[in-house]
Amino acid sequence: MAVGLDKVKPEAITEDKHLVVQGMDISGHWNRMFEQRVSWDYDVDNLDRVTDLPGGESLAWCYGCAKCTAVCPVDIVGDYSPRKIHRKTQMGVDLFNSDDLWLCTTCMNCLRVCPKEVNMIQIMPAVREQAVLEGTTVPPELQKAFEDTAKHGNPLGQPQRKRADWTKKVGVPVSIMKDLGRPVDILWYVGSYPSYHPRGNDAACAAARIFNSLGVDFGILGVEEKDDGDSQRLAGEKGLFEMLAEQNIAAFSKYEFSRMVVTGPHEFNAFKNEYPKLGADFKVLHYTRFLVEHLDKLKPMLKKPINLKVTFHDPCYLGRHNGEYDAPRQLLRAIPGVELVEMGRCRENGYCCGGGGGGMWLDSFTKEHTTMRLSERRVREAAEYGADVLAVCCPFEVSRFEDAAKSTGNDELMVRDILELLDESMRG
Amino acid sequence: MSSDTILIIGGGPAGLEAARLIGDLGQRAVVVEKRDALGGTPIYEHYAALTHNFRDAEEAMNELIAAAKANPTVDIRLSSEVVSCSGAAGDFRVKLAKSGNPAAGANGGAGVAGEEINAGAIIVATGFQHFDPGRETQMYGYYEYDDVITLADAERMLKENKFVTPSKGTPPQRVCFIQCVGSRDRQIGNEYCSKVCCGISSKQAIEIRQQVPDCKVFIFYIDMRMYGYWENEIYWPAQEKYRVQYVKGIITEIIRKGDRLVVRGEDTTMGRPMEVPMDVVVLAVGMEPSRGTKDVAKILGLKQNKYNFIEVPHGGLDPTATSVPGIFVAGAAAGPKDLDDTMAMAGAAAMKAAALTRKLQISNFKFQNSNFKTQTPA
Repeated sequence: MAVGLDKVKPEAITEDKHLVVQGMDISGHWNRMFEQRVSWDYDVDNLDRVTDLPGGESLAWCYGCAKCTAVCPVDIVGDYSPRKIHRKTQMGVDLFNSDDLWLCTTCMNCLRVCPKEVNMIQIMPAVREQAVLEGTTVPPELQKAFEDTAKHGNPLGQPQRKRADWTKKVGVPVSIMKDLGRPVDILWYVGSYPSYHPRGNDAACAAARIFNSLGVDFGILGVEEKDDGDSQRLAGEKGLFEMLAEQNIAAFSKYEFSRMVVTGPHEFNAFKNEYPKLGADFKVLHYTRFLVEHLDKLKPMLKKPINLKVTFHDPCYLGRHNGEYDAPRQLLRAIPGVELVEMGRCRENGYCCGGGGGGMWLDSFTKEHTTMRLSERRVREAAEYGADVLAVCCPFEVSRFEDAAKSTGNDELMVRDILELLDESMRG
Repeated sequence: MSSDTILIIGGGPAGLEAARLIGDLGQRAVVVEKRDALGGTPIYEHYAALTHNFRDAEEAMNELIAAAKANPTVDIRLSSEVVSCSGAAGDFRVKLAKSGNPAAGANGGAGVAGEEINAGAIIVATGFQHFDPGRETQMYGYYEYDDVITLADAERMLKENKFVTPSKGTPPQRVCFIQCVGSRDRQIGNEYCSKVCCGISSKQAIEIRQQVPDCKVFIFYIDMRMYGYWENEIYWPAQEKYRVQYVKGIITEIIRKGDRLVVRGEDTTMGRPMEVPMDVVVLAVGMEPSRGTKDVAKILGLKQNKYNFIEVPHGGLDPTATSVPGIFVAGAAAGPKDLDDTMAMAGAAAMKAAALTRKLQISNFKFQNSNFKTQTPA
């Protein structure tokens, strides 16, 4: 970045007669460039504004080793990393009003390698929250997700009363807690995408069939369930998160259950790490860990071989954030015929799908600042490693990766939730 | 006949520590100091707090001075200097004279002029001096701009708890440090790293932020060289707690703009030239051998390295040895040293010197004894 190999003759002013950039004709004086801008000040007030925020302190700790840059999923497809954010802010750039503010997916790969523990998982939500409070321009698509969540209890903007409609498609009974009127062993928190998104429905239906086959005593909240709100919190809407958490905790506490199982890693993170701070007190499991508990019973049911090369994409909020790498792999290995191949970036160094920290609702915005979507980079990697199936266990990912497989010309790559693969093998 | 007296040249941290330890072993030490007071550079240059534990320099040095003075077998010769040396290990004959140094007071030295010390071993602890940024070239306009100062100048202001923009006498709003002034420079001839300046600049940056909380402090550097615990004790707190801004890229020149200075260089990680206004610029000057180190090396016939520090022929395995048997070196006379290394080296030199004089006395005694025995039967 600092030193180019080509020496450029110093000229005070340059001007190209004919120049088209990204389809825009900027010939002549429209592209006039003056010689390289001199940094004439270090206005560290903007850095102080960040580090004065609770959670923002550690941005000042960066000593520029740049370990984060190599593993930042955004930098791999763009020009953004925590080190660069620190330097720009030290140079006086106002992060509160910068597009950079919305690019971080809070995937935590930077913090994993950071010797100084510069914590973007705290910095970014803190600055975004302040930006939201100050009325700074929030990208419209994110703003819409915030509004939909506030209005409907889910970021997809679907009616709350239809939250359990997917159960009509399952073919096996799915009990709603309110109708059940008795304690259950497992309260299954389905989540917004499995409840509403067509591809999410597929995973939810698969889960319901698997739970039934295993004889799990479970119930769901149905219309009493609201979005967990964790990604909205990380995207800067802490108030919205607290409202949803309050409503969810109230709904949870109406019923007796021994443990909760969640479909998604973001919900898992919310209930395991964030809701307890607001008074929640229950045991939560991601479905992969829960099913591994039942592996002895599950294995004989997996009759139909799936003779395919399967690679697994570690969700950031299951792996790096919560240390679960093995349960999904144990499930995949239990399926007869499956050949599990690992991608170069896997487990602790798993590449981010781009959906975390609000990225799920910033697709067009992020696309404008990167050479390709993070999900597109990831499906290319899966294809490079010769996978037939990209297996996932986060409800954000199925639709993201399926779109990416199409847009990158990797249509033959199948994207499946582990639940769907298990269900397929069970159904024979 | 070999002497068990150990001559220590230099009354700074290394010399005082060596003297105290030799005294504690019950052996006679003579400390020769050309200035009229003990304490060396930390006292003479008005250091504020020591690097790295932030202890008050004067208080810490006074303890060392008191320990040496209180020791009954330690003799101190102030305002004195070594003028000649003959003999060899076990039996050096060293002549002292009243110091020609301007810092020699009227009351010292006269009484010992012409004194000859018979020493079994010598410890050279003659230290360093700060690089003079006006030497050879007018680097950074040190003698031209009042507000361009050195680490030593900053120490003096910090010691008085009055860090100001010298030309105005008011607290500065922006201060920067320029690292590696006079060090790591082939043209100047000092290719070595002076080891302590990164730590001292960062320590001073912390002190400035403590004394003038509204002042922004920048450190422009090539590499931050923070050895061992200096990293977590100085560098990290400076950055994390005191919000000192570290910028990779050295300042090349300082120009005047209005009543302020503008520092010019390149911000290397941004790949952009920079011209930043500053109220005070502190030059992180490195170490050079002191005048005393150079003079004493010649008088004692010690080999010097290309930078004129005293050469240590066996390097890491025998860091206090010089080219002359029986003469040891401690502290920055042998090259850039921090205080930890200086004190450890003083202890090692004291041990080696004491051990040598004892060994020589025992072998003399055996030699005399064996003569006696061979003669007895006759």
